[in-house]
Amino acid sequence: MSLDHHHDEHGDKLLGSDDFQQARREMRRVLWRPGLRADTQVSITRRIFIHRALLGGTAAAAATAGWLPRINTMDMAFAQEAGPPSTFRFAWISDTHLYPKEVNTRFVEKAVRAVNDVKAMDPPPDFLIFGGDLAQLGDPVELKLGAEIINELDVRKVFIPGEHDWYLDMGKTWNELFGTSPWTFDHKGVRFIGLDTVSRAMDFWTARNMTPTERMAAMATLDGALGGAWAGLGREQLDFLDRTLSDWGTDRPVVIFSHNPLYEYYPPWNFWVRDWREVHEIVKPYTKITNIHGHTHQVLYNEIGAMRSIGMLATSWPWPYAPEGVPKLTRPMLRVDPGDPFDGVGWGQITFNADNQHVEHEYMMWRKDILATSQVDSGTGDNPTTFLSPRPDGR
Amino acid sequence: MRATRSSWVALLAGLCLAGGTWLVLPEPPRPALAHKEPHTSEQLKLFQDLFMEQVGIGDLLFHGDAETERRLGVTLSKTGWACAMCHPYASDTHPAQFPKWQEQMSKFATLRDMINWCIEKPNEGEAIDPDGPAMKALEAYITWSNRNSPLQPGVH
Ligand code: HEC
Ligand SMILES: [Fe+2]
Ligand SMILES: [Fe+2]
Repeated sequence: MSLDHHHDEHGDKLLGSDDFQQARREMRRVLWRPGLRADTQVSITRRIFIHRALLGGTAAAAATAGWLPRINTMDMAFAQEAGPPSTFRFAWISDTHLYPKEVNTRFVEKAVRAVNDVKAMDPPPDFLIFGGDLAQLGDPVELKLGAEIINELDVRKVFIPGEHDWYLDMGKTWNELFGTSPWTFDHKGVRFIGLDTVSRAMDFWTARNMTPTERMAAMATLDGALGGAWAGLGREQLDFLDRTLSDWGTDRPVVIFSHNPLYEYYPPWNFWVRDWREVHEIVKPYTKITNIHGHTHQVLYNEIGAMRSIGMLATSWPWPYAPEGVPKLTRPMLRVDPGDPFDGVGWGQITFNADNQHVEHEYMMWRKDILATSQVDSGTGDNPTTFLSPRPDGR
Repeated sequence: MRATRSSWVALLAGLCLAGGTWLVLPEPPRPALAHKEPHTSEQLKLFQDLFMEQVGIGDLLFHGDAETERRLGVTLSKTGWACAMCHPYASDTHPAQFPKWQEQMSKFATLRDMINWCIEKPNEGEAIDPDGPAMKALEAYITWSNRNSPLQPGVH
C-alpha cells in the first residue's frame, strides 16, 4: 500500500458545491424534524423509514469528480462461511488513546480492563473488532503497547484505524501491526466490512512546513480547524463498498465498521464522513444493514433509510454531546462525573440474533445506569441553550 | 497551527518587557480618565483587542500549550490531558450557569472553583490562583466560546 497522503479533490468539490449544501439542509429537515423522539421503551431496536428521495441527486454527480487516492484492499484470511445465519456474539473496543506508560497509565488501565472484560465473556465472542484510536499521538511506542494489550485476547481480531493512529507516520506502523483497510469477511451468514475513514485528510502540513509531530498534534485536536473535513471514504473505497455488496443479497445482513459515523452529526468535530451521502446511495437497497462506529466517545443511535447506526463508547474518556445534530433517535447517556475516570467509558458487546436477523447492542459502561431518563440527567439536556463558537483566529 | 503558535510566541516574547503585564498594544486610557471623555473608536478597538488577547492565551492554556503554561508558571495537568480533550469548543463548561450549587464540591461554587476542580481531579494538576492571569485567561476563553448562550444562573 502506498503511504503517500491522498489528496482529495473529490472531497473538495463535494463540500464546495451548492448542491451539497442544499442536500445537507434537506437532510437536516428530515432527520431532525420536529416531533421525532427516541423511543424510551425499546430505544435501540426501533426502526423508522425516512423517505429516500433525498438520498439521490448530487451523489451521482459528485461520483464523477476527480479522485486520486490509492488503496489496497485486503480480504481477511478468514474462511468465507456460507449457509444460513446463526446467532453469535462479538465484542467492540475502541478509542483507548494510549499514551506511553511513563506519561500516563490511566488509559492503559482502562484498556486492560476492557480486554479483561472481553476475556471473561462466556461463551467467548466470535471475534473482537478494534475500532480505531488505539494510540493518542500515533507513536509506535503507543501502538505497540496497544498491540500487546489486545494480543492478550485469545480470539480472532480485526482492526480499523482512527486518526490518532495515523498522522505521525501516515499509517506505516499501524499497517505493519494490524494490516491495511478496507477489508471484508463473511461470518455465520453476515457480511462484515471494515472501512478506513481517517487517512484522507487534505494536505494542510506541506505548505506550512509542519513536522510529523506537529501534523499529528493538529489532527489529535478534536476542535482544531487545521485538519478540516478530514473524515471520508474516498472514491476507491466507495467503489470497494459497492463491489463488496454487489454479490450479496439485499435481504442478507451486513455490518459495516467505521471509525467515524456514516452520517452528518457535527462536522466541526468530524462527527461524520464528508461523503456520507454517497455511502447511503450505495447501501440504499440493503434492508438489514448496521453501521457500528467509534470516534464520538458517547452513546449514539441513528437510522437513515434502512441503515441503523450505533455509536460506541471509548474506553479512555467520554465526549460531551455536540450542541446540535444529535440524532433524535438517540437516547442520550447520563452526564459524566469528571472525578471518576471509569465513568462514561467502556466497551461494547454485540449479538447477531439469527431469529430476527437483528444486531443487538449492549453498552458495557463501568457504571450501573447508562441511559438518562430525565432531561436534567441527560448529556444533551443543555443543548437547547448552548451555542458554542469555533476557536479564535481559525485555530 | 505552527504559524499560529509562532506568532503567539513572538507576541508573548514582546510582552515580557512589560514586567508581568500582557499589554503589547498602545497604552489604554489611564484610570483617571475612564468614562470622563468620550471614547474614540481606536480605544474601543483596543479594549476589544486586549480582551481577545486574553481569549487567545486562554485558548492555548485550554488546549494544553506547554510553553504558555511555563510562561505563566502554572501546571494545569500532570496526566498529559488538556481541558479541550473533554471540552471541545469549551463545551460543557456552562459559564452561563455560574455561580451555582455544585454537587461535586457540595458548595455554592463559581466558575473559577470548577476550573480549579477540573485541574485537580481529572487533570491531577496544581490548582491555580483564582485571581491570577492564567485563571483570567481561561475564564476569558470559556465565556467567549459560550458568548451566544443565554444566561442561566443557577441551572444545574
Ligand atoms: C477527563 C475529562 C475532563 C477534563 C480533562 C477536564 N474536564 Fe472539566 N469537566 C468534565 C466533565 C465530565 C464535567 C461535568 C460536566 C457536566 O456536569 O455536564 C466537567 C465540568 C467542568 C466545569 C463545570 C461545568 C458545570 O456546569 O458543572 C468546568 C468549568 C470545567 N469542567 C472546566 C475544565 C477546565 C478548565 C479543564 C482543564 C483544566 C477541564 N475542565 C478538564 C470533564 C473534564
Ligand atoms: Fe477517539
Ligand atoms: Fe477519532
